[in-house]
Order: sequence, then structure tokens, then C-alpha cells
Amino acid sequence: MRLELADYLIILVYFIFVIGVGFLIKKKIKSSNDFLTSSRSIPLWITSLAFISANLGAQEVIGMVASGAKYGIMTVHFYWVGAIFAMVFLGVFMMPFYYGSRARSVPEYLSLRFDEKTRGLNAISFAVMTVFSSGISLYALAKLMETILHWDFDISIWVSAGIVMVYTFLGGLTSAVYNEVLQFFLIVLGLSPLVVISLHDAGGWDNIKSLLQPEMTHAWKYMGNANDNPMGLHFMSLIFGLGFVMSFGYWCTDFLVVQRAMIARNMGDAQRTPIIAAIPKMVMPLIVVLPGLIAITLMQPALASKGYSIPTTANGELDYTMTLPSMIAHYYPTGILGVGITALIASFMSGMAGNVTAFNSVFTFDIYQSYFVKNKSDRHYLLVGKVITVVGILISIATAYIAKSFNNINDFLQLVFGFVNGPLFATFLLGMFWKRTTSHGAFWGLVVGTAAAAATHGLTVAEGKGGWIAEWYTIKSGMGQAFIVAAVSWTFNFFTTIIVSLFTKPKPDEELKGLVYSLTEKPKYHEQKWYLRVVPLGLLLLAITLLLNIIFF
Amino acid sequence: MYKKLNDLQFVIGLFFSVVSLILLLGSDLANKLNAYTGVSFLIFGLAMMFIRKANKA
Repeated sequence: MRLELADYLIILVYFIFVIGVGFLIKKKIKSSNDFLTSSRSIPLWITSLAFISANLGAQEVIGMVASGAKYGIMTVHFYWVGAIFAMVFLGVFMMPFYYGSRARSVPEYLSLRFDEKTRGLNAISFAVMTVFSSGISLYALAKLMETILHWDFDISIWVSAGIVMVYTFLGGLTSAVYNEVLQFFLIVLGLSPLVVISLHDAGGWDNIKSLLQPEMTHAWKYMGNANDNPMGLHFMSLIFGLGFVMSFGYWCTDFLVVQRAMIARNMGDAQRTPIIAAIPKMVMPLIVVLPGLIAITLMQPALASKGYSIPTTANGELDYTMTLPSMIAHYYPTGILGVGITALIASFMSGMAGNVTAFNSVFTFDIYQSYFVKNKSDRHYLLVGKVITVVGILISIATAYIAKSFNNINDFLQLVFGFVNGPLFATFLLGMFWKRTTSHGAFWGLVVGTAAAAATHGLTVAEGKGGWIAEWYTIKSGMGQAFIVAAVSWTFNFFTTIIVSLFTKPKPDEELKGLVYSLTEKPKYHEQKWYLRVVPLGLLLLAITLLLNIIFF
Repeated sequence: MYKKLNDLQFVIGLFFSVVSLILLLGSDLANKLNAYTGVSFLIFGLAMMFIRKANKA
């Protein structure tokens, strides 16, 4: 793939705009809350698109296209099972606690609901996860640019990290959020022509269905038996592992996405943010799953004349992660090629900036201010927030170089993230909806849940991974193993929290007002028009999601 | 102009308008994909700016 002047110009214009946004926002930053929480001043359409864009990093875009090519239409489960339901639940049931408690972060909510040790455990694990995720995103960007454009690895790392640092340092969270919206439009509009032209080349959806194996074009039909579908999953594992534990654990408790709703102007907008965001999320498979299906269809003998194939690795196996870049190279001429490459760069930068801004908020408020330096001036915490932004970027760069030297670091970190995230939703579910849940119960539930996740991984093997304690049980796919690990860790956390809570003293009711469902005044929706109320909107989205699952059954 | 740049909707519209001009003026229009995408981006970019004006009016 070779870029020409027009392509470079488009990339340059993008860089100028994202840095320009940082400079424009800089004048509005007067306090630590402006920098780290946007002072709850962001309009609904921006928070909604930023909510979805924070999840639209490179791993999502490139990974889902790869998954579409490898597993077929079953990849839509990550959207129609593993996202929409949790997003609606967050908007209707959980945002009133996050927003109403005036907490500035998810760990801060945990300190209000439980205690400092639970907050510390969550804050430290989250801070470590986000900064390493940012580094992995950076490594993946530089590696991709090196592979497809033959750009220098070091220059790619430092230029892209430098640009993210400039705009997050200048404008903090608001700058990151504004750029996420720009990146959202760029990714969607930049990749849409690829979908249209490649779908036309593949002969349309009917032709895709006729050329591929039926299990590649049916989302549910072959899930009655794990051996009948490409993911090797039974539908019950999918519904509980992905649809409940992993999905709700991510969308309802991960501060990276929840933060985008917490900066809305008022409670109504905060609740509507994840629900409005669910609309583009619902149709996102058209941009990130369908191209994978098209790619594998184009490799069928009947379409050999189209001249497209997914690149292979040194071992001769299909390199699915290169599906999207290779399609861009195949279909995009000079000009729009620059748009496609810029969309890829935007997705990496979006993911990195999202992680860095979540990291600096949690570190400043939940670690530095809580445990190290209390009661300083706001100017002091603003300065710390800015310094931590730079530190976060530098750690990300260091992580990117570690990832370059040790191939397995990515797998290892993803594994650890799974151990930490898997059980978390049980803590929130019990904490928000059962007032008897105690601080000790929450803390020990998290510890035991995480340990159970590690033990399950150590006792099961899938695709050569896991089984480091003993190989007790073999699972067909790594994805299935991840769902089972998450389900076990959630269950251990859930029951440990209940048992410990029953033997320890709960907080008095007065301290739990606004933090627990039964002790919180319910939001009144009846004054609003129906399309502004979260419950009818949420139900409508759930009905459409069910319909989509039926259509592509 | 500076005031308008503080409006994200205007900034996004401006970005897509500039990119569309590069596609329409600086790339090979013999390839229809560049032309169609350039025109689409221009319409989208101008609409983002125009809708803002309509809201203000």
C-alpha cells in the first residue's frame, strides 16, 4: 500500500483538527473538575456519541472485522446480546446512582456505597488496566502502520502518542470527548464506502448467504450444540457469559465508558446517554462485522475473479487481523485511501485518549487525593491531573515497547483484565439493589471472584491457553473459555458477597440514601414526552434488538 | 469565526468539508469512489454547519 500527496494531506488535516480542538478547549479549563470531569457541562448528543466512540477503539474496529471473517455473523452477539441490553440497564437503573451520588468516578461511588478499601482495590486495578490498554493500543497502531505502510515503528509511536498527549493535556476530558465525536464520524463515514463497494462486489447479502456455510450466516440456529458453530459455544454459555456477566460488567461498571455519561448536563441526559448511544451501537455491525463476512465470501472460488484474499501469516494461516487493512488497500484508491487510513488512526487515538482521560481522573481523585495528598487547593489537583496525563502517555509508550519485545504480554494483560472485570458487576448489582450488602462483603467478594477467575483459567485449556494449574477441562475456543471464566468469577463474587454481608454489619439507612435503589427517590418521567423518557426508549430499543436477532436467527 | 470554532458541530462540518475538497480537487476523480465520497462528505459537512445556523436562527 502506497500513499500519495492527497492521502497525506487528509491525515495532516486530521492531525491539525484534533490538536486544534485541544487549543480551543484549553481556554475553558479553569479547575480540576473542568479538566478531569468536564464540570458536567457536555450536551447529550456529544456524550452519547463519545460514549459509543470510547468503545470504538482499534481493537474493536479491526478485531470485529477479523472476528466477522473468522466466526461469521455470530460476531453480532457482541452487539445484539453483549451490549444493547446492558446499555439500556445502565441508563434506566444505574445512572441515577452514579449521577445522583455526585461521585466523580466509579471508584468514588464505591467509596460512598462501601468503604475506602473497596474503592482502592477498584481504583488501582482500573488505573493499571487503562494505562496498559492504552499502551497496547499504541503498539497495535505502530505495528499496523509498519506492516501496511512501512512507516517506522518508533516514529509512529511517538507521533501518535505526542498528538494524543497535546490535545488531552490542553483540554483534558472535554478535548478527548470532542475528538471522540469527530473520530466517530470519521470511522463511520470513512469505512461506509468500503462496505458499499465490497458488498456490491460480493453480489449482495443473498449471494453471501448462498456462498458461505450456513453456520456463518445464522446467528443462533447452530448454537444448540457447541460443536456445530464456528465459535464452539452453546447458547447458554453465550447468554450468561457474554450477555450477562461480561456485557453488564463492562458497560455498567467500566469507568472508561460510564465517565462519558457522568459528564452530561443533568440527570435526564445522563440516563439518556447510554440509551441514545445504543442506537448507533445496534447498527455498528454493518460497519465492523459485515466487512469480515464479505472478505471471507470474496475468497470463495466463485468470486476468485475479484482478486481479493485475506493475507496469510508466516505459517500459511489466514491473518484475520489484517482483514480490514487489506480490504482498504484493495478497494480504496488514492484520496479515499487517506480517509480509510485516517479512520484507522482515529480509532487507535480514540481508544488511547479514552484510556488516558479515565486513568488521569481515577489516579488524581481516587488514588492521589484519597491516599496521598488531601485538602490541597484545586489548582494543585489541576496541576496533578495534567502531570498524570503526561505520565499516563509515557507509561503507555513504555508498555508499547514492552509489547514489542514480549509477544505474549498482550495475551497476559487481556487475561488479567478479564480476571478483574469479570466479577465486578456482582459487586455493583448487590451494592445498588440490596441495602444489606456490607463493605467487607463487597471487598472479599471482589477478592474471591478474581481468585476464582484465575483458578478457572488455570484449570481449563482452550486453543493451547490456560491449564497452568492442571488440565482438568478442555474448551473448544478461547472465547468460550473467557465466557466461562467470567461466569465462574461472577458467581463466586455474588455468593461470597452475600455470605460475608450476612455476617458483618451494614451501613445505616441514612448513609445509603441516593446510593441504593430501595432508599432512593425514583426519577419522575411522566412530565416528559414519551421519546424523552428512558423506559419507553429502552423498551423500544430492546424490541428492535430482539427483532434483529429473529431476522438473522 | 473564532466563536463558531467553539461549536463542535461546526468543527466537524468544517473538517468534512475540507476533506471533501481534497478528495474532489486533489485526487483522481476518474475513480468514481473518490467523486461519490467527496460529494457525500461535502453535503454532510455543509449540512453540519447549516443545521447549526438554522438552530441559531
